[in-house]
Amino acid sequence: MLKSKRIKTAIKYLMPFILIPAFTIAGSLLISEKRHLFVSLGVTLLSLLLFYSGVERKNIGTRRMVGVAVMSAFCVFGRLLPYFKPVTAITTISALYLGSEAGFLVGSLSAFLSNFYFGQGPWTAFQMLALGLIGFIAGMLSETLKKNRPLLLAYGVVSGVAYSFIMDIWTVLWYAGGFDAGLYLAALTSAVPYTVSYAFSNFIFLYLLAGPLGRKLERVRIKYGL
Amino acid sequence: MNRFEEYNPITVAVIYLCILGISMFFINPALQILSFLGAVSYDAVRRGKKRRGGYLWYLTLFLILTFVNPLVSHNGVTVLFFLNNNAITLESIMFGANSGIMILAAILWLRSFSDITTSDRLLYLTGRLSPKISLILSMAIRYVPLFRKQAKKIEDGGKAIGIYTKDSIPGNIKSKLRVFSAMVTWALENGIITADSMSARGYGLKRRTSFSVFKINKEDVAVLLAVCLLFAGVMYAVLRGGLDFSFYPRVTTGKNAALYITGCISYGLLVLSPALLEIWSNIRWKYLISKI
Repeated sequence: MLKSKRIKTAIKYLMPFILIPAFTIAGSLLISEKRHLFVSLGVTLLSLLLFYSGVERKNIGTRRMVGVAVMSAFCVFGRLLPYFKPVTAITTISALYLGSEAGFLVGSLSAFLSNFYFGQGPWTAFQMLALGLIGFIAGMLSETLKKNRPLLLAYGVVSGVAYSFIMDIWTVLWYAGGFDAGLYLAALTSAVPYTVSYAFSNFIFLYLLAGPLGRKLERVRIKYGL
Repeated sequence: MNRFEEYNPITVAVIYLCILGISMFFINPALQILSFLGAVSYDAVRRGKKRRGGYLWYLTLFLILTFVNPLVSHNGVTVLFFLNNNAITLESIMFGANSGIMILAAILWLRSFSDITTSDRLLYLTGRLSPKISLILSMAIRYVPLFRKQAKKIEDGGKAIGIYTKDSIPGNIKSKLRVFSAMVTWALENGIITADSMSARGYGLKRRTSFSVFKINKEDVAVLLAVCLLFAGVMYAVLRGGLDFSFYPRVTTGKNAALYITGCISYGLLVLSPALLEIWSNIRWKYLISKI
């Protein structure tokens, strides 16, 4: 369709900076009531679309794609464990060794897939974005996190708390339609056990798995040149 | 002659999107109640006589959702009573009930959606949007049962050579971790082999075909057209203000009764369409059998 390569790149970089704010502004103007749910769901879906279209355009290689599928399947299994779930830990570790894009894919796709067991819903989009971003950021910090074990564990704890806080925004939005500080505080308080369990399970599983799983991924990476 | 779940995945997805989109984004108790009734009727038709029940859990959830709102939100003019110096208002209870019905209906709809969306239908939908993501998804879906089988094999192997114990808890955990470790190595290596054989067989070339062929036939087109019409009917009522509704400070509704009825009838038909299509196919099936 578009011939000039320069125009294509320009569109690629401008899209997120135009489309997402435009959507937000249009949402706030067109929908008079405080229906933040609609706008936030739209922005979440657009951001996911942005990431996926980036992956789609890029040639990431069959081997790496299979690696992502394997790690996502492990995440789905991990989420079936009771109370303490290694999903975030496995996502983080895959991101460290397979790169930030792979991290995003593992996080978001495992959220999507495991929700076929736990119940699919509009929250899926938020979970996908939250887990995907945890993986993406871990991938960007991979050099530092790989060397510094305490920092990695701290990242696990922080990401667990952040995940819970992000999901509670969604809980409030879905329940009340718009954002409400009182409800958000109530949601945060009622979710304290979950927040603690997320942070704790991230800590414990990163502590247990970072070494062994990391070594295996590193080995495969060197052996097959991922 | 299709059952509802045998229509083209695109048709089914469009119907679900319309139903859920309307009930989630427009506050109006009539819409929520219709959506809930539609979900329940499709659930009843689809599951038939087997496995009725489980509704107590939904009732509990509804009650919790209804009475959480008045505890944290004290808007509204009709004060029923005071609890710890906080006003409990009729409006906030009604708002809670509205949210509760909406959430229940969404849960029921999404449950039926994941029940009828098998993995090949899911891949048909995602494959059109994004072939790569869809490939990763399809492999991960396949890995879940495969890994379970492989873990069992490794476990049995461990038992046979006497390094898998269930006698003590620490020993059991250690054995499980050993199985997990073997699993990971096997899965990664196996994945690389899969990837190489995929490349060798020409993965990434154009013109791929898929396992299940879904065609858009006349029935799909008819259903899609009808759904679009009904959706347009609801949107017309919404945009003209016929379905306006607000809980705070007091319950107010839109003034135009004709628009209100148009919106409700359109949405009612929309939410009943899965159940109606299912019943219609049953009737035709029975009729065809009776002629044999």
